[in-house]
Formats: sequence, C-alpha cells, structure tokens
Amino acid sequence: MNIGIDLGSRKAKFALVEARAIVRLADYDTITFYKRFGRLDGDDLSLDLEGSGLFSSVELAGANVKVTGYGRNNLRLRGAGVISEIRAHVAGAIFQTGMRKFTLLDMGGQDTKVALVRDGRLEDFVMNDKCAASSGRYLENMAAVLEVSLDELSSHWEEPVRLDATCGIFGESELIGQILRGHSVARLCAGVNLTLVKRFLPMLRRFPSETVVLVGGVARNGALGRLLELETGYRVVVPGHPQHNGAIGCAVC
Amino acid sequence: MNRVGFTSTIPLEVVVAAGRQPVDLNNIFIGGENSVQLVEDAEIVGFPRNVCGWIKGIYSAIRESGLREVIAVTEGDCSYTKALMEVLSLEGIRIVPFAYPPDRDRESLRYEIEKLMRHFAVGWEEVNRAKERLDAIRRKLRVVDRLTWQENLVSGWENHYYQVSASDMNGDPDGFEEEVDRFLQEAAAREPLREKVRLAYIGVPPVFPDIYPFLESVGARVVFNETQRQFSMPYETIDMVEQYRSYTYPYDIFHRLADILTETGRRRVDGVIHYVQSFCFRQIEDLIIRKKLPFPILTLEGDKPGPVDERTKIRLEGFLEMLEGKA
Repeated sequence: MNIGIDLGSRKAKFALVEARAIVRLADYDTITFYKRFGRLDGDDLSLDLEGSGLFSSVELAGANVKVTGYGRNNLRLRGAGVISEIRAHVAGAIFQTGMRKFTLLDMGGQDTKVALVRDGRLEDFVMNDKCAASSGRYLENMAAVLEVSLDELSSHWEEPVRLDATCGIFGESELIGQILRGHSVARLCAGVNLTLVKRFLPMLRRFPSETVVLVGGVARNGALGRLLELETGYRVVVPGHPQHNGAIGCAVC
Repeated sequence: MNRVGFTSTIPLEVVVAAGRQPVDLNNIFIGGENSVQLVEDAEIVGFPRNVCGWIKGIYSAIRESGLREVIAVTEGDCSYTKALMEVLSLEGIRIVPFAYPPDRDRESLRYEIEKLMRHFAVGWEEVNRAKERLDAIRRKLRVVDRLTWQENLVSGWENHYYQVSASDMNGDPDGFEEEVDRFLQEAAAREPLREKVRLAYIGVPPVFPDIYPFLESVGARVVFNETQRQFSMPYETIDMVEQYRSYTYPYDIFHRLADILTETGRRRVDGVIHYVQSFCFRQIEDLIIRKKLPFPILTLEGDKPGPVDERTKIRLEGFLEMLEGKA
C-alpha cells in the first residue's frame, strides 16, 4: 500500500494506491489543511495525517508514504520519503496514460511545468519563473472579475476576445475594459483561456511532441485543451485524475 | 580620495599602476550585509522595479561607500549602465567611461586603454609592471581553479569567491595574495570531494551565492564558473591589449561559447546551469546557448539578493534528479 501526497500552492492532494490500483483520492484546500492539521514542532512543521481523517490508522501504519510539492522539505512525516515534483508528475502521467513518449504540461496554482518524456524517462524540463501569470491563479482571478465559476470559464473557447497584458493584474483591468465594450461573457471567457495558452506556448514549443499530456488543476479546463489543440495541432490527452497526478505519481514512484 | 569604483571588470592594471585602490562595485554590493536594502533604496530614489537588481545595488553601494569617482563600462556591459552613469553624474560623481569595442578590434581597444591611462596619468611602463604584479596572483588563482576540477579539492563556492574577487583583488592585491596562499595550502591537504553530479555554472555571478552550498547539500558540485574565471584573466599573454581581447564577458555570445565549450569539455560536466538576471538582455541569449551547448541546461533566473528561494530549489532538485537518471 502506498500513499502519495502533493502539497501544492492551492490544494493538498492525496492518493492511496494498492497493487498499482487507485484506492482513494482526496484533496484539501492547502491553507485550510495547514491551519487545521499543521503544528510547529520546534522549527519543524508536522502535519497530523491521522487527525485529517483521510486515512485510517491501519492504512497509515502499513503504507509507504511519499511527499512532493512546496511543503515537501519542511514537512516532517515519520518515515515519509521526499521526491521532486517533476519526477512525481512524470511518474503519475506514465501511470495514468500508459504512454511513454509525450510532452507533459502540468499547470498548477502558480507553477507551469513542461517536461519531455521519452522511453518513459524524463529527458528535459522547463518551469515558469518569477511570474505566475501563466498559471491557475490567473484563471481564478479572471473568473472572479467576470463573476463566473471556474466551470463556466472552462467551457468557452469560441471567438476569443483579444487580451494582451503581460501582467496578470493589469490583465484584470484590461478585461474590465473589454467588458465595458459589451463583449459577451462567453467570448471574454474564451479570451482569458486563449491568453493562458499563449503565455505557456513558448515553453511548450521547446519540446515538441505529437501528444501533450495535460495535468494539474488547470487541466480540468476543457476549453484550454481545445484551444491548445487548435493552436498547435498536437493531440491533447487529459488523464482521468489530472489534479491528483502528482499525488498518484508519488504513490507509484 | 584614493579609491576608484568600477561597474564591471576594467583593465585593473591601469588603476593599480596609478596607485589607486580598485573597488568592484558588484562585489561590495553583493558581499555586504545589507544588499537587499541597497536595492530597495535605489527603488525609493526612483529606479523602476523592473530593472536589473545589480544596477540598483551598484547605485546604492556607490552612495553608501562615499566613492567620488567611478569607471563605467559603457560598451560590453548592459545599456542600463549608461543611464546609471547619467544619474551618478547628476549627483556629482566623477564618471570615467570605458568601452570594450563590440568587434574586439585591437586598435580600438588599445585606444580605450590608453584613454584610461591618460585619465589616470600613467604610462605603459607602470601599467606593464602592474600587470606582472597582478599576473603573479592570477597564476595562483589558476591553481585554485585547477584544484577545483582536476583534483576535486575545492568547493564550488570557493572557486566562485577567489575568482570573482580577482576583478579588484579585494581592493588590496598584497592582502588578497596572502589569503590565496593560505587557502592553497589548506586545500592541498584536503581529501578529494566525491559528488554524484558535476556542474558548469555559466552567466553572470549569482545574486544568491548560497546556491553553491545548496547544490553540494544535494550531491552536486560546480566545477566551472564561467564569468568568475574570466575575471581572473586565465590567458597566457604578456600583451595587455590581447588579454582584454581574450576576455570573453564583454563581447558577443559566440566568443563566450567557444570558451564555455572548451572548458565544459575538459572538465567533464554532466549538466549546465545558465544563470540569468531578471530584466537582463542576456535572457535572450539563453536561446542561443540552448542551441549550441551539447549538455542538459537549466536556466535559472534571479532578481533580488537573498537565499535561494523554494521554487529555485525545486527546479535544481528536479534537474539533478534528471541528470542522475541519465548517468
């Protein structure tokens, strides 16, 4: 039995895997999770996994636990192994899709990673740096400005309104400007999704593959995958559990 | 006022020949206790946030140190230096411009060096004497470098520190030479280091120097510091003009790449870290470096001084894991 934990900037994700089959997936809002179950032990942060109720004491006692994500090095979990995010995501994508040759695009709360996978091995990768305007947080902010849910935002890809701002915050005022010009919410949503594609495209183009495996919370945005296919001609594959891909990867590593 | 500052490596021999104390402004900015504060001070004065941290740090370091005369490298470094020069002259600092000719033309470079010599009222005889003095120290730095990659006795940070200090010899060639001598003696008695991954570090020196101990804590060591090594003038020439033509940093990327290819090859590195400063034109050159170097490359971007941040650590760990997987 293996437990994988991915401590992301927005969500803490958990996977319980037994005999290479996913038994349970769970997630918590990161802040809520740390507030409720985190405790400082001297300088060390320890998380009360048992108290979280996500796993039974029998499971915790018998499982091999692996952690990745931002909190991975600060976290003191007895017996837990720490692995890098990139390794976790590549392992998760290979496990979920069964593919061994693809470009991985992981879009999380504030990170975007692109990895080239050949023969089931990580060949090279790039990550966004110093700016999170090409990440999930941008979509959240823009959905709030448009007063639509993320699900609503994620459903529009046709006739996108053009949005150009480099900065995600100035992007909000640009969007407001476009709202005032009377564009439909559907076209504005499509515009937001297309802007995101344009921001990460230079990273993706470094590692061209026929197939892109899209994971991370943002992969739930169907319009994004559609726009990505239209822009690049690549085949976009979203595995069954894109948001839990890192946690699953930890559990199968 | 005896001290004279400079914004980037200049023909140090001229300053030393004139009996003036050289101060590499980069070193006093990043080597001080309050480098973050220096950047913020410059922003309060009006330097934009989206401007290179080194320019802002240098500006405040000059103000803090009370230097009244600064040699500004106007060609061969970034164009921000030109505006920095203008702001400083507005504040009454004496500016001495120095330009590396973009085409590495020998006559133009000789003219620039002689212009600098006229400013400091020194002739070739004194300058060549100063070169002999400095070359003696530089030869010792070459030993430090060799002990790093060939004998594996020197850490990445030590390699960085001794070579980066060569730009101004810490303002005191004699004192610095003694420090190097002591270090060489100590290092020779060490047991060789054994790391899993050997790295090259290329680009400008890091705004977070603790990257070296961090890398060593996760099983990797830098065995080549590109620009820092250039500061130690590792060329066997008695001709000073030729020396500053061989110096790669101020010239085009292809001149730099020739040096990088030679050194990464003989030092048997597994991967390359290309460090770029936020808002620096050298970020564009990353795409050329990626096309030309036959190694896995991790591009790191740094902005303000401080310890290596969590996100950079994530990327370094991922990169090392990938390199180990390939080995």
